[in-house]
Amino acid sequence: MPSIDDVTDAPEELSDEEADSLLSEADEVQDMMGEVCPYPQVEAQKGLQSLDAGELLVQETDHVPCTENVPRAVGDDATARVWRSDDGTYRIYLRKQ
Amino acid sequence: MNSLLIAAAVGLGLGVFLQKGRFCFVNAFRDLFAYKDSRVTKGVIAATLLTMVFWGTAYQLGYYQGFWTPGWGLTGLLGGFVFGIGMTYAGGCASGTLYRAGEGYLQFWLTLLFMGVGYAVFTVAFPTLQSTYFQPLTFGEGVSLFSVSPVPAGLLALLVAAGVTLVYATVIGRAKTSSDPGERATVASVELSGLLAPVVGLRQFGRGTRSYARGLVRAWRTPVASSKRPWDPRTAALGITAVAVLWFTQVSIVGVTGPEARWTGYLLEQVGVDAGGYEYWGAILFRGEGVGVTVDMLMIGFVIVGAGLAALWSGDFSLRVPKRRRLPNAVVGGLMMGAGSRLAPGCNIGNIYSGIAELSVHSFVAAVGIVAGVYVMTHWIYRDVGCAI
Repeated sequence: MPSIDDVTDAPEELSDEEADSLLSEADEVQDMMGEVCPYPQVEAQKGLQSLDAGELLVQETDHVPCTENVPRAVGDDATARVWRSDDGTYRIYLRKQ
Repeated sequence: MNSLLIAAAVGLGLGVFLQKGRFCFVNAFRDLFAYKDSRVTKGVIAATLLTMVFWGTAYQLGYYQGFWTPGWGLTGLLGGFVFGIGMTYAGGCASGTLYRAGEGYLQFWLTLLFMGVGYAVFTVAFPTLQSTYFQPLTFGEGVSLFSVSPVPAGLLALLVAAGVTLVYATVIGRAKTSSDPGERATVASVELSGLLAPVVGLRQFGRGTRSYARGLVRAWRTPVASSKRPWDPRTAALGITAVAVLWFTQVSIVGVTGPEARWTGYLLEQVGVDAGGYEYWGAILFRGEGVGVTVDMLMIGFVIVGAGLAALWSGDFSLRVPKRRRLPNAVVGGLMMGAGSRLAPGCNIGNIYSGIAELSVHSFVAAVGIVAGVYVMTHWIYRDVGCAI
């Protein structure tokens, strides 16, 4: 049975607590505020290249499409989750596979 | 009907649907080339085909205000190519720049400003370009296939839409049959899969559409929460089609850079420049009727407002200050979009969306140029991380 996620295609969302505790254990944090597609996608791919399996890359962004396009761009290289602040900023959590 | 009301309804609607569907022509082609990600591409194709069917029908029944059909030739290819490079570098097409400006991106206000510079430079150079560029590179009178085809326009649009759907089904069907594991690739099975591909693809198309419709129905059960989430680009396509039909029957085809070029002339006139004295503004863009605010100029203004309201509603609005390293994208990308859209003429909306929906010969050529520009620029941007093709 398809869910609304099949229609909107958004990655799994993190709660505020999960998002904060995960951020403190991030191996790399990329500041993508003010940046638009496709540069966050390119930077995410570059960032993952320098990480080992299991390590966590976090992108901080204020560009809504990135929350879908960055997870799509990294594909099978990482599992992606997203945190929305509800005031126009987001974090994309990419755990390298 | 009051033209201000129509401009407001169409502009606000376009702004909301573009913002909620993240309906971006750069994304549609760039991510298709880079990652074979076709979600937004499907939305763009759906919007164009649906609009074509409704516009063709409206034209056949006489409910329309006119086509936009510039002369066709290499101008579409060259100008479209410049525009395609520019929009990929800037990170937003003509419509994308509008809705992102509404979302609070200062970078795209800068892009808009430099698109304006592009329009102004083009206007000054127009008399020279007329004899050195447009005359030698324009091969024929602009025409819409709707007006010359012996087939009634509504039926012609349906046939084209069915043809494109069949080609699309064959492509996804072939991808599916060739990726099925364990199948021995004998000559017979290759031939069989070649024949079956459209059937497999149509079935998959049907399943995808049904699952999309079920998702829509489910989304309606929690209207407020669903409206705040991002929408499928196909939902945006349905909404854009609806307002485009209203616009076509009441005003004209949907355009973005034409009205923007008029805004540039109008704003320069306000600060003392004799914009109407320039041939391109005075005689062509304002058709000798004097430099003033036209209904399509108001409409694209409302696109920015609509996108802003949609972003506020979703919690996506904020004033975003660009990083210094991105300023060249806004300046150079904006200039190339402004100049390219005049050289073609027409932007992604005028040519890929409206132009194909009205079956304008010029727009087929220009769309090829724009997509080629995106293709080349995508490879350049992704040169460090590799591109899928």
